[in-house]
Formats: sequence, structure tokens, C-alpha cells
Amino acid sequence: MMVQSRNLASRVWTARIFMILFLCLIMFPFLMIISVSFRSGNFATGSLIPDTPSLEHWYLAFGLPWEDADGIITEPPFPVMLWLWNSIKVAFMSTCIILLLSTTGAYAFARLKFKFKEHMLTAMMILQMFPAVLALVAIYSLFDKLGNYVPWLGLDHLGAVTVAYLGGLALHIWLIKGYFETIDNSLEEAAFIDGATPWQAFRYVLLPLSVPILAVVFILAFIGTVAEYPVASVLLQSMDNLTLAVGSRQYLNPQNYLWGDFAAAAVLSGLPISVIFLFCQRWIVGGLTAGGVKG
Amino acid sequence: MAEVKLINVSKSYDQGATWVLKNIDLNIADGEFAAFIGPSGCGKSTLLRMICGLEEISSGELFIGEETVNDWPPNERGVGMVFQSYALYPHMTVAENMGFGLRLAKADKATIHNRVQEAAGILQLEPLLERKPKAMSGGQRQRVAIGRSIVQQPRVFLFDEPLSNLDVALRVQMRQELSRLHRKLKTTSIYVTHDQVEAMTLADQIVVLSPLQEGSNSNLEQVGKPLELYHRPANLFVAGFIGSPKMNFFDGTIETSGEEVSSVKLGSGETIQVHVNTASASKGDPVVLGVRPQDALTEVNDGNSVTGKVAALERLGAEAYIYMQHDCIREHFTVRVEDCQRKEEGSTINIGFPAELCHLFNAQGLAFERTRVPKFD
Amino acid sequence: MAAATEQPAGSPLKWLAWGTIAAIDLILLYGVTLMYAQGETAFALVIVLLVCSGTWVFISGRGYNYRYVYPALLGVTTFIVFPLIYTINVAFTNYSSNNLLPLERVKEILLSKTYRVEGESYPFMVFQSKDQYRVVFTPTPKNYLVSEPFTEAAEPGLLPAKLQSDIPKGKELAFRETIKLRQLLKTQDIKLPSGLQLSMTSLRKFGPMLDIYRDTGSNILEDVRNGNKLIPDFSVGHFREVPPDYNGDLSQRETVGPGFVVYSGWDNFTRVITDPGIQGPFLQIFIWTIIFSLLSVVFTLIIGLLMACLVQWEPLKGNGVYRLLLILPYAVPAFISILIFRGLFNQNFGEINTLLNMLFGVQPEWFSNEFLAKTMVVIVNTWLGYPYMMILCIGLLKSIPGDLYEASAIDGATPWQNLTKITVPLIIKPLIPLLIASFAFNFNNLVLIALLTGGGPNIIGATVPAGATDILVSYTFRMAFGQYGQDYGLASAIATFIFLIVGTIAWVNLRVTKRMVE
Repeated sequence: MMVQSRNLASRVWTARIFMILFLCLIMFPFLMIISVSFRSGNFATGSLIPDTPSLEHWYLAFGLPWEDADGIITEPPFPVMLWLWNSIKVAFMSTCIILLLSTTGAYAFARLKFKFKEHMLTAMMILQMFPAVLALVAIYSLFDKLGNYVPWLGLDHLGAVTVAYLGGLALHIWLIKGYFETIDNSLEEAAFIDGATPWQAFRYVLLPLSVPILAVVFILAFIGTVAEYPVASVLLQSMDNLTLAVGSRQYLNPQNYLWGDFAAAAVLSGLPISVIFLFCQRWIVGGLTAGGVKG
Repeated sequence: MAEVKLINVSKSYDQGATWVLKNIDLNIADGEFAAFIGPSGCGKSTLLRMICGLEEISSGELFIGEETVNDWPPNERGVGMVFQSYALYPHMTVAENMGFGLRLAKADKATIHNRVQEAAGILQLEPLLERKPKAMSGGQRQRVAIGRSIVQQPRVFLFDEPLSNLDVALRVQMRQELSRLHRKLKTTSIYVTHDQVEAMTLADQIVVLSPLQEGSNSNLEQVGKPLELYHRPANLFVAGFIGSPKMNFFDGTIETSGEEVSSVKLGSGETIQVHVNTASASKGDPVVLGVRPQDALTEVNDGNSVTGKVAALERLGAEAYIYMQHDCIREHFTVRVEDCQRKEEGSTINIGFPAELCHLFNAQGLAFERTRVPKFD
Repeated sequence: MAAATEQPAGSPLKWLAWGTIAAIDLILLYGVTLMYAQGETAFALVIVLLVCSGTWVFISGRGYNYRYVYPALLGVTTFIVFPLIYTINVAFTNYSSNNLLPLERVKEILLSKTYRVEGESYPFMVFQSKDQYRVVFTPTPKNYLVSEPFTEAAEPGLLPAKLQSDIPKGKELAFRETIKLRQLLKTQDIKLPSGLQLSMTSLRKFGPMLDIYRDTGSNILEDVRNGNKLIPDFSVGHFREVPPDYNGDLSQRETVGPGFVVYSGWDNFTRVITDPGIQGPFLQIFIWTIIFSLLSVVFTLIIGLLMACLVQWEPLKGNGVYRLLLILPYAVPAFISILIFRGLFNQNFGEINTLLNMLFGVQPEWFSNEFLAKTMVVIVNTWLGYPYMMILCIGLLKSIPGDLYEASAIDGATPWQNLTKITVPLIIKPLIPLLIASFAFNFNNLVLIALLTGGGPNIIGATVPAGATDILVSYTFRMAFGQYGQDYGLASAIATFIFLIVGTIAWVNLRVTKRMVE
């Protein structure tokens, strides 16, 4: 360690105080929402630690009716758990397909030779800048028509949303391709000499070595699809088919303002995803800095 | 066990836009240890990968054993390859690495186990079988890589600069181990290296390749036994490439031609007698005189010598190198001497060229036949 | 690879693969026939193309390498490229909630319209068995015309009736119960074996119905009651009603029925430029979109970089914990955080205003004041976005060799000088493509606007709904899927404009990245 300059201690303290103040600012919404979820009623204001804590909103969030002190029974306003389950179903399915397709695609782009490869890569690079938001009208009518032939791909079906998310492949192909290129090519050549087909070399050699990046892509794609709002809001209509991202909006209607219920639902549904993210943040940060992309 | 035969094998990229190898003709006998050597960019690794099946052969024919194998995939050719980077599968143990090929071929567990044990026995790898490559030293990984190809019982072993990632001491040890292994298994082997010491010590036959020159018909320079290449280099390229330090070359012209003895007049005026057959040349033809640093003498009495100025001295204890300036040579010419013969920088000395040790090349760079080569076999 | 090995022919795996491909092809080809039969020729053609290319890729040895990319390319083409092209196509039509269907379908709707004619009426009975009802007529004794059964949940429809000699099963409903069913019965028409259509004309009787319109060919319909003609006006996408021998100006006549989709040329684009109720808001929104994206990039970068430097600074103990807490806004799904802010900023019940009221006695109108709403949007987006910038900056900071700072320490540099003279110049170059990507992301950040303000407060005088915090995408989103009339054509025209901008950004980004690689 170098010899420290004399004013270092004061600088460290300034930095620390600044950091703590900033963190308070950042954490304020989270602390507040947790506090609100334990307040009784939907309009009550109060201090950070509720004066009269109540589990009312938590009951409702879990889909249980709540009976207050006066014996009035409140039914859960929205099927939050069902929405959460819908979100998880859609995200899991589409993430698995995305992972499968982008991994095989990335393998071809990284290792195999074929015509128009460079053009395809450039096209992918440009297309990843065009989010689905820009073509919602087209996506809406595409699935409207598809639904005439394949009912489970029609409007207001979770299948449609699952499939619609496949457009987000391009970005992940780039991320995985970059990782594949860091793996020594002679490993697969050795596998060819050992008698492997390209598929076997991919399956037994390249894939097991790429587990870290696949995990990163899985988490990024999963969180990305869970949080996706525009496509789901256009394709899904009936209350029971909504995903969490679309459904949560219903809580804060000016006509029916359920602030407290929302708080509990938000904490309940946001917590698992945030915990997974923080748990895996080391790899995600590594993947993000390598790929320089926003999930 | 098989011989490897190449007939007019060539390699080009982009439909003939760039050529890497042209017209390679080779015959590697069954059980022979051949080494491909050449400077970087000469296509030696590409040639090996073509024999292996990792690169397509643009034209020509490749025989392994009796069959043409141009279009066969690597595993059907019966070759084993050891890569420069070892290419061990990092997620498998040593035993799994070695048995991977058999597993793909759906061999039963007992066969895999026996063959792996057998190969591990040959290479003394038994204690390492359950380790992962990450937990091993470079030399051990190299042995596993060799073991992996032994398990496959290939007809031909291919080595792509297998020792270049090892440190000097280990390299010497592994070199000897490879040599012993080859004596034991007697499998045809092809070894790519840029290190002539490896080639000279390991190979029965050395193949010298040069980077393909524009308009050249082939970049196969010479094929021969190690000492043959040293003593009878076929051309300037081989003469300059084999032997360390490099051979010194002087420009000159033929003074008198003859079947036994010829004399060369250097640009600086000295006349040097050489024991080569220059019957095909006549007086005044431009030639290049080659003398190895080891063959040049500092004690001169017969006048077959040149005069130069000492530019620099390098003393290594057992030997010393004198770098001389001379008008007929672009940079320096090098003379190897015993260390005790001290010289001063800047002093002018006479260097003698023993006539029977000189090499002579014509304007095309082809060697004239030497007539009094010392016995080397 | 030179020698891509194939499964040897005849192996069971190969047969399985071929079988699967054949099965998929068959299903798809069946779908194609269906589509072709329904007149979706373009759709059918596209699928035939996919089937052929897909089959070739998966069967031919030469297509082997394409097998790995084909599914991915298919996904990208179907869900990005096709929608982009389709959107541009829609931009040149009048597709909207008023002009929703193709001409053929509108014609079908008009042709299915009926009117009641005077004449014979049929008393009816209703028979019930379990939850099924049948309408029964008795034209002559012992002869029963019995309709197909229908339930209470039945959609409006046409029920064929059959003549039979037995009394239908079930019990006859009393008149009082029949009255209870009248709303249901009104929706169900009966088709007699003679082809005559009946519908309920009174509580006791069904009467005959006739089609109003007759197709006279070349898309002209004739009203059989008065001989008036319906002529499609392709300039507006509506049928217009004219008297029998009318030769005057079509555009002066009344429109009839739902509109149909027609190509309207550059109409949507000219509307954007000329209609003051669109042009004004459009320009305002466009400028705000750029300001919003720029501010978001700048603020997130400044805070992200600052935090990255602090987190990377060794003397500050507990860096790991700080980093974890700082990343938190990125870890929580954005839609949750945005809605949390929506609640916190609420004018009357929001905790932020409660706090401000306590401290300073003010209660800003975050959602109705234009400037405050914009400020709020930027604050929330900065809060959401800085962790991503911080993550990127941490990665880039790690790549700066530490001895540079040691050298600058020997030269006596202050932390500020370190930041501006060493850190920023070294990381700005790799950051630029990421900043461009971030700009593009915020340019299209629909989620933030849709969930936080919904675009509001509204711009007064706008023809189509537009708000002060709307960005271009949320503007088109509201236009296409909002509550007040859906104008897909106009929305697509503006989306096309966004494509051009995003395309330009992507191209610039590509050039910058390429230059960095070189």
C-alpha cells in the first residue's frame, strides 16, 4: 500500500456520508412500499413504521379473503397469484426456446461456415435495435390471423405471448457467440478426430463449457420476459390471462385506487425475481460488461 | 499401421484466390517418424490438418494405407492428433478425456476401461486418471493428449507443435519420451514443428516447407534424413534454415568450373576454392557461396580465406561468436570459435574457408553437388 | 468443417428425423390449404416458402450448417422483420377501428343483413330437454318443423329446421316461460327446409325475413326494397348509397355500414404534416422524446460513473455491500418500480407529497403540471437506469491499469483530475456504442411512460390523444390501442418514422463499433 496522503481520511468520510445519503434516496421507494403493504386501508398515510400494522393487504395478495375488525369481508380484488403463475409460465417457456435457438444459432455463427453469414450477423446487430414495441399493430394482427388456424396462438392466449417474445433472440445470439469465440476451437477439432459429429461436438464439448453464459442469458431473458409490458398488454385481454406486468397496472386506476393492495402484491411478486437477480449478480454483471447489452 | 502418401496435394482459400500449399509430393513409410519443418506461414500446420481431415484438400490425392482418404471424415481416417494447446476437454477427467472417442463409438465400458488403462500404463498416467486437466502441469497435460490419441489406436499419429507450450527443461524431457514412445509403438507419426532441434532429434525423415512464393510451383523444399539436410541442403532455403547459427552466404562468380574442384571469385576480389561439382556452370556465372559458422576457421595458412573486420563479439563460455563485416555480405557473417581465442572488436582478421566444407548455389538457389562430404551416416 | 459427418443412412435416428419432418410438413401444408381456401393467399405463400426451405435445410446434406441458424432466423424474421414490413404496409392504408375489415368481409356483412317482410307468420312452441331448447312449428297437424337445439349461452345464429312426424323430445314450455326466453329467441333465426328464413316477429309468432341487399357484381350491391345501389368508394373505404340512376358526385352521398380497408397512399403522412391537431403535438412529442432520451443517458451516465468510481475506490470499506444495494433498482422488475413511483408521486395520497408537505408545506401536482410531470419522468428513469451504467463503468474501470493512478499520484493529481484526465478519456471510447444503444432504448421506452403517466397531462387541441410526457412510441401506442378510436394507419405512419430514426441510430452504432474494432 502506498503512503496515504493526509487528507485521505476526510475524503473517505465524505465519500461514505455521500454514499449513505444516496443509498437512503435509492432505498426510499422500497422501504416505503414495504411499509405501505402493512398499513391498513388503501388511503392511509403514515410514518415509515406503521402505527397499526395489519396483514390485510398480504391476505388479499395471496388470494385469501380478509375479514376486518368490524366483520366486513373483503374479497381479493385481483388474481395476483394467477398472474404471477402466468408470467412464470410464459417467461419460462419462451426463455427455454430462446435459449435453445440462440445457442444453436450462436454455434453456427461462431463455428460453422455458410453463405451470407456476415450479412446475417450484421442484420441481427441492426434488428436487435428494433424492439417489438415499434410494430405492435402488426404483431396484433399477426396473432389475430394466426388464431384462426392455431387457436392457442390467437389473441388472449398465453401461447401467443410466449411465441411473440422469440423476436428477442438476436441480442442473445450475439452474447453467446462472443462467449463461444473465447473457447479454443481445437477442442471441437479434437472431438471430430474422436469421431464426433458436429452436433456431438456441440453437445458434449462446447455446451458443457458454456454453462456460465447460458445461465446469464437464461436469467436475463427470463427477467426480460417477466417484465415485458407492451406486447403482453396488446395481446392479452381477459383478467385471468394477464401477466403480472399487465395486471399490476389495474391496481392504480384513478377510479379504483388500491395503493395498499398493490404494495403487498408488488413486494410479493417483485421479491423472488430481485432475489434471483442479486444472487446471480456476479455472473450477470460479467455477462453485461462482456456483451454491453441491456436485458 | 499405415504409410501416408501425398500426390500433388495443394491448398487454396477463396476458390483459388490465395494459395497456401502447392504440389506437395510425399511418401512417409509405415512406421516412420516424419517431421514438417519451416518458418511460420509455410503451411506446415495446414498440411497436417489436411492429412487429419480438419481442412479440405483443394486438389491432389492423399493416401493413408491403401485408400484415397480425401473425402473421409477425421475419425474414419484412423488418425490421432495432439494439438499445440493440448485441447483437453476441461470438463472431463483424464480417463473421460481418453475414453471420449470410444464412448462416441459406443464401445462398452470394459473395453473403454481396458484401453484407457493400457494407454495410461504406457505413459505412466495411472495416478492422474481421475484428475481434471486444470489440476495438472503442462507436461502431464501433454501426456494425456498423447494418451487420448493412443487409446484410439490410430494408424497415424499427428503432432501439431506439441512441445511449444512447455518450458525448455520439460521440452527436452518430453522430446526423449516421444522418441521412446515411437520406438515402442512403431506407429507412423507426423510431427509439425518450427524447432529444428526437435525435428533433427526425433525424425527419421524431415520435410522442409517454405512460405509459398509468388509464381512458385511448389513450396516443398527438400525431404530427407536429418543429417542429409544438414550436409547436403538442396537449395539456399534449406541451407539457411537448417543449422544454427545460420549459414553465411557470399555473392560471387565462378572463376573455374570443374567436376571435383571449382573456384569462386567473390565480389571483394578473393578467390575461394570449393569442393563441388560445377561442371554444369561456366566461368562468370553468378553463384552464392555458403559457409557454416562452425566450419569457418580463424587460423589460416592455405590462403583459402577472406579478410574482414570484427564488428561484435559474443562470448558464451564454451564458445564464442565473432560477427564480421565483409563487403560481399549485407549484414554480418558469423564465425564460431573456441572461447579462448580472443579477438579485439574493430581488428581486421583473416577467416579461412576449408574447401571441402563449402556449399555453392547457382543463381536459382539450387545447390551444386558437394564432392567431399564427410561421412555422416 | 471439411468433413461434416452425417448420420449413416438407414439408422433409426435418421428415420425418426425424416418422419418428424414429414409430419410437420403435412400439418403445415394442411394449414396452407386452409389458408388458401380462406383467401389468405399471401400468408399461404409465405408458409409454403418456409416449409420448402425448412425441409431442404433439414434433409439436404448441403444445408447442414443452416440447420443451426434456421430456427433462430425464422423467429427473428417472423417476429421482427415481418412486423416491421407489415407496419410500413399498414401506414399506407386507412386501417382503423372504423375501417377494420377487408372489402369482401364488409360485403358479406351487408349481404347478410335482412329485413322482415309482411306475409305468413308462424306460431311457435319451445320444447326444452335438459338445458337445450328447440323451436317447433306445426304447419299441419302431426307434422313438426323442429329446429336444431340451442342453449341459453348460444351466440346469435341461424338454426336449420327439419320436418318430422313425431313430437319432439322434452317438454313444451308454457307461454310465460317462453316470454322469459324472448331475448334469447330474438337472436336465433330459423331456416326452413324451403330455404325461407324466419325470425321472431312477436311474442307468439315467427315471420319470414329477406336479404336487404343483392350482389349485382363488380362490388355493387342493390337494395331490393327500393332499388338504391351501394357503391364502394375506394377513396375513403366506405360503401355509399345512391338512387338507382344516379350519375352525380359519389362523395356527396351518405356512407353505409362499416368501412373497409383501402390503400390510402401518403394520406397518413400528409395528415401528420398538415393536420394542426396532429402536427403540433407530433413536433412537441418528437422534441420531448429526444430531450428525454438525452437527459436519461446523461444523468444515468453521470450517476453511474460516479457510483462506479466510489464502489471501485479501495479505501471505502464495504464496497461489496454498497454495490449490491446500488444494483437493487436494476434487480427489481421495472414495471413494479414504475408503478411504485406512480403511487409515491400521487398528488393526494403519495408519500413523496406527504413528506414535502411536512418539510416545506408544498404539494406539487406531479401528474397535472407539464413541467413537473416531465421532471418526474426523468427522475424515475434516472433512478431506474443508473445501475446499468454503473455495471458497465465498473467493468470498464477494471480494465484501466492501476499504475496510471499511481503515476498520477506521484504527479500530485487530485481525485477530480484523476476522473477528468484519466478515467473519462479512457472509458469514453468503449462507452460510446453502449451510450448510443442506451439512447435508442430510452427513445423507445414505452413501459416507463405507459405505466407512470400514461402520457398525461394531455395536450389541449390535439386531434388524436397526445400528452405532454408522451414519447413517440407511447403516442403511437395510444393511437393504436387507446380508448378513443383506434387509428392503426396513422399509428403505423408514425411508427414508420420511428423506424427511420432507429435505423439511423443502429447504423451509426454499427459504424462506431466497427471503427472501434479496427
